[in-house]
Amino acid sequence: MDLFNIRQKPFVMLPLALLSGIAVASFVPFLLQLTYCPLYPATVFGALGLSCLLLNMRRLARGYGKWPRIGRNMVPRIRIRLYELPFILILSFLVFVSVWKCFYQPPVSRDALSGPEAIAEYAVREHTLINSFFTAELSTTNNQFKSPFLISLQVIYKMAGYPFGQIWLSIVFISYTLLFYQVLKTTLHPILAGLLLLLMTATPEIYAYTFMILYDYSNMVFLFLSLYFLIDSFENKRSSYFYFAALLMGIATYIRSETLVLAVLFTPILWLRLRRERQSPVTMVWTTGVFILPAVLSYYLIVKLYINYYLPVHYDISALVNPHPFNLRPLFRLYGEIFKELIVSAYGVQLWGYIMFLWAGIFLADLVILRRFTTPARNWLYAIGVVFAGLGLLGFLLPLFDIFNTTKRGLFKIVPLMVMYMANSQLLIRLSARISQWERPE
Amino acid sequence: MRVFILTIISVLTIALVLGLGYYRAWFVDKPLYYWRAFVKESRSSAGPEQIRKARYGIAYTTSMKVKEELAKRNATNPVILFEPNSYYRDSLHMDLRVPEPAVFYYYTGLREVWMNSPGVEKANYFVRVNKAGVKLEPIRSPRQLQEILDRYRKFMPIL
Repeated sequence: MDLFNIRQKPFVMLPLALLSGIAVASFVPFLLQLTYCPLYPATVFGALGLSCLLLNMRRLARGYGKWPRIGRNMVPRIRIRLYELPFILILSFLVFVSVWKCFYQPPVSRDALSGPEAIAEYAVREHTLINSFFTAELSTTNNQFKSPFLISLQVIYKMAGYPFGQIWLSIVFISYTLLFYQVLKTTLHPILAGLLLLLMTATPEIYAYTFMILYDYSNMVFLFLSLYFLIDSFENKRSSYFYFAALLMGIATYIRSETLVLAVLFTPILWLRLRRERQSPVTMVWTTGVFILPAVLSYYLIVKLYINYYLPVHYDISALVNPHPFNLRPLFRLYGEIFKELIVSAYGVQLWGYIMFLWAGIFLADLVILRRFTTPARNWLYAIGVVFAGLGLLGFLLPLFDIFNTTKRGLFKIVPLMVMYMANSQLLIRLSARISQWERPE
Repeated sequence: MRVFILTIISVLTIALVLGLGYYRAWFVDKPLYYWRAFVKESRSSAGPEQIRKARYGIAYTTSMKVKEELAKRNATNPVILFEPNSYYRDSLHMDLRVPEPAVFYYYTGLREVWMNSPGVEKANYFVRVNKAGVKLEPIRSPRQLQEILDRYRKFMPIL
């Protein structure tokens, strides 16, 4: 964050630092493996410490005299209004039971046990990610080909003494919740911010994944962060925020390689922005390349290098691709099925609660009654469209990307974007202003 | 006073959301249920192995029994063949799903094959489950293995 000159409020910086730390840590055992370094607690924690030093080199190089001092002025002033407390209490309750489950219960999902969790368990015993698990009969699963993100974090936390690992997921959940509340409060009254955060946290399907280690929750968090900084960079014109957004998109792709498709689908909004700023075509190509590059590198690191050259088992991705990509009828049928089966059905309510209907209501109110969208709201609308279109496209191109498992979990990504749209909607911003005016009439 | 009114509104909003339609059922069935489990679990002295047994259930305990039995018999390089899950479901009407080979390896560190696995010919132990319990039988010849495979041919191996 120091490298990218990220300056935010302390309660955004702190969770952002924790999330960045999780992202950095998730690369460490993986990179050690790529260099064939054995995974012992000494090598793993030594490499973690070294990464920490290297990433803070710029700050450390300023000399001891200019190092930040922990003083009273560094501790953020916590100002909580009485009416925020009920939301804080109920959210703390939801967080607490999730953290307990993460700590106390072993991983249960089949996708984890038949792949990343098993690889991590044997990596701790055998000191390598390429371990005896790969000698088991693996014809019933393809989970051994999933990203090393989860494996690496499980290795670190198991080595740290947690028998089931997993606690990293609680750090992601708490940081994301804390950060989101601060972000929502920048445009909305704390009551509306608390309400939206409660609705988002109480989204039944997503809440389940706050204590069930898999890839989709973390992928959702890092994709949201990438878009948050991308859209913020449009407003504040800071190139460092744009680079940070590109890096976060790379991390989201490292977690789930299909995110690369979404990253590419976000480029038109970049072009639109650059055209408005009357940038040259060379700048447009360069900027697009910079935005896509970390995601492409992540994709190649996982799919081309790790899976093809390190894993002892072969994975033929080309055999999994739809052989008729120009017959588009199934694509439109798929969009219809996603909408009908996963969103507007009774099952959809079990998955998402009523948050998608609330978003649709607020969107329609902005469209029909107020007939105005703020610029960030338009950007978030575009992001929602990209995720929906991208998930359908992925399901169309990769038949293993089924509706009731992969697409369902892929839809996690759309929920924070809908909440961000609501946080920037004319209707809620006006309502917030009214509440604030009533609260402080002078 | 206005802050106090807003606080009442906050409380009412939360009550309304968590009392509304599906959220109510979800809140009672999930977070509140987890909270009650937490109250019990936080007083329990169960270690990781006991927690695993409780969480993974019969599939885990069956797998571990097989492991113990093989250790007693000093079996070298055992490859275990299980009956198909569809057999337990359709013929024995039992709610048992033995883990797939990858998960069995995670639980036990032992190799398992299913009836349709590529390496099924390597199987040298057969696990037979009935209402009386679990029985581990050695497979002594390719012919014996073929007889077993023929016997269960109509049951598809399923997860």
